[in-house]
Amino acid sequence: MSLYIFYISNFLLLLCLTASLMQSSKIINNKIFARPGVIVLAYVQLISILLSFLILIYLFLISDFNIDLVYFNSHSEKPLIYKFSGVWGNHEGSMLLWILILVLFNFLFALSRRISERFKEITVAVQSIMIFGFVAFLFFLSNPFAINQNNFFEGIGLNPILQDPLLAIHPPVLYVGYVGFSLVFSLAIAGLITKEVDQQWASIVKPWVFSAWAFLTAGIALGSFWAYYELGWGGYWFWDPVENASLMPWIAATALIHCVLILQKRNVMQSWTIILAILTFSLSLVGTFLVRSGILNSVHTFASDPGRGLFILLFIFLILVFSFSLFAYNSEKINETSSMDLISRGTGIQVNNWLLITILTIVLLGTMYPLATDLLLNKSLTVGPKYYSTTIAPIIILFLFFMFISPRLGWTDTKLYKIIIQLRYLIITSLTITLIISLYFELFDLTEILIIFFSLLLTISSMTSSLNFNKQNILVRTNLGQNLAHAGFGILMMAVVSNAVYSEERIYNAKVGDNLQLQKYIFSFDKIEQVEESNYNSLKAYFLMKKDGKLIDTFTPEIRFYSNPPTITSEASILHKFFSDIYLVMNVPQDQQSISVRMHIKPFMTILWLGAFMIIIGGIISASIRVGRSDEK
Amino acid sequence: MSSLVKSRLIKFLLSLIIVSIAVLIIIFNLRDNIIYFYGPTELIKNSDKQGQIMRLGGLVSVGSFQNETESIFYFSITDGENEIDVKYEGILPNLFAEDKGVVVEGVYMNDGRFIANKVLAKHDENYMPPEVIETLKKSGKWQGE
Repeated sequence: MSLYIFYISNFLLLLCLTASLMQSSKIINNKIFARPGVIVLAYVQLISILLSFLILIYLFLISDFNIDLVYFNSHSEKPLIYKFSGVWGNHEGSMLLWILILVLFNFLFALSRRISERFKEITVAVQSIMIFGFVAFLFFLSNPFAINQNNFFEGIGLNPILQDPLLAIHPPVLYVGYVGFSLVFSLAIAGLITKEVDQQWASIVKPWVFSAWAFLTAGIALGSFWAYYELGWGGYWFWDPVENASLMPWIAATALIHCVLILQKRNVMQSWTIILAILTFSLSLVGTFLVRSGILNSVHTFASDPGRGLFILLFIFLILVFSFSLFAYNSEKINETSSMDLISRGTGIQVNNWLLITILTIVLLGTMYPLATDLLLNKSLTVGPKYYSTTIAPIIILFLFFMFISPRLGWTDTKLYKIIIQLRYLIITSLTITLIISLYFELFDLTEILIIFFSLLLTISSMTSSLNFNKQNILVRTNLGQNLAHAGFGILMMAVVSNAVYSEERIYNAKVGDNLQLQKYIFSFDKIEQVEESNYNSLKAYFLMKKDGKLIDTFTPEIRFYSNPPTITSEASILHKFFSDIYLVMNVPQDQQSISVRMHIKPFMTILWLGAFMIIIGGIISASIRVGRSDEK
Repeated sequence: MSSLVKSRLIKFLLSLIIVSIAVLIIIFNLRDNIIYFYGPTELIKNSDKQGQIMRLGGLVSVGSFQNETESIFYFSITDGENEIDVKYEGILPNLFAEDKGVVVEGVYMNDGRFIANKVLAKHDENYMPPEVIETLKKSGKWQGE
């Protein structure tokens, strides 16, 4: 049985390799491979990979331990959902998922209409070169269908930290984001080859780049959500190298979507847009594979051999060399037509592009510096999270200012003082609210006050301009996505700052009967229980939360003992209120009698997720509006 | 000067100023926030590192663990060759135990003690921080493959 599956699935992979090779050959205008056409081949690519992915899912669901991958990453007693998510909870499976999405984007683009045949052919050809590379990598170096003859009765199991419903969706969503930029990259290369990087090119790129960006945002938010709820670290962002690896392509992509918009409206910044497209995709590759390679140590690392890491490094290197030489060769022919007026929306976006690149550099330096010293000087070190917060905060102030003012400026020279006078009520309102907040909450740090002020300004300004019905009615409607995302960013920044300032943490070592205090709340340690579940045993503590002697809620932090593989995890118990979360985690160290409890008050978490959600929805709205305002006159 | 040249010049100067300020801030901040990792032997040799925030890793020595009150702990970290006494106030992770790998963050004091303010969590029982493996390899006490 396993042997048949082995042959069938490998045949499917080879089929996809062949189709991708034929598809790639269309990059040179040849007669030999003119048939079959782009769409037929795209079908073959999609169906072959989809089938092999379904086969892999099937193998996990029936727990076929003659397949190495299933043996190492699954266990027959695991709940069904984790057998399913276990498919991509490992290196080979996640590679296959990555390829599936790569092929899916290729297919969707091949079907899209109103694009010149030649341009489509080249884009699909570039995309197929990448498909070929990754399928070859999968087939030769990390074949998910490798079999063993040992007839194991039981598998080793999936890391329990990965056994969480959120983890079933976090990787696929993040991957759709990362891989979405592969198509944007292919479009950029096709634009360079045809020398047509213009307003029409931007209109073609826009829906793809916005949807990839929305997915990447959602993927990062889900990951952060998971860290907050599942890992029990008591926070949502730790400037961990793995988190940084996903943030870097996001920053580049954020710059990119704005450049695509300027290009579409004003036909400027062609070269810079292309560079950003290449950069974003390269960082997406780094994001996936730096994380997977084992260079960084974290939950995300799947055991891997150096050959694989080397292949990916080589691949990234080739992409960079190829695309930048093509860029150097052809960029003069992409005509930069007009330039921009100094005080205009274009300049504002350009300044923020620079600021984004600065933030990107900061994150890149902080992430790579420890790796470099480790490899070159054999010296281990860590960069503390304070590096990021103190360096990025002042830039965020400027960034928020330009984010607020730019949409208010016109595309042509605008008088700044007129805008300020026009917005006087908005500015006075924000200033008053900020003053009240800072006095009432005793907030006296200038950086924090400024971030709150500009975030407030940005949020109110974005919200009112989407509700504002003036004579330019059409403009108002199409800007909904932008306004929502910008307001969301303002809300997110306010929540981030206030969360950082007002979070409180208390640590206690407690025995049953103890009363612990956190602000105005009393937590009575009621009892501790052992519970047996299907795939783990757990130790559950019960804390009664009281305020002024009245019972408000019961908290049940938990420690889980998994046996396949043997692991201990702490499950946080969280009470959500609109303005703050109360968060309890417990630990039982092996050499200790009592349990340790960590209690947090995390203000504005709900608002923080709301901000992130608004950004994602804004992105989706912008992606789905097919034709933007072609021109406002 | 034509307005085009003028606007380009202003843009260029503006970006130059922004870039140089940014670079300075970044470098100074990075320098202030680097936390080095040492093994016990390495740390004893570099006694000039006293008073700095750093990470220390190795195995928790067998028989060294004591708690003074319910949240103040004493233990020693060893690489098989040298030991450093650690005082830690706070919460210990689930997997903290004698003879297991550990990484702590804190200050190396003048009297040769280490005051830790963080014990870094691990994810599973068999996991050994790579820095600790490296430390044990350096002292020749590493028994893994």
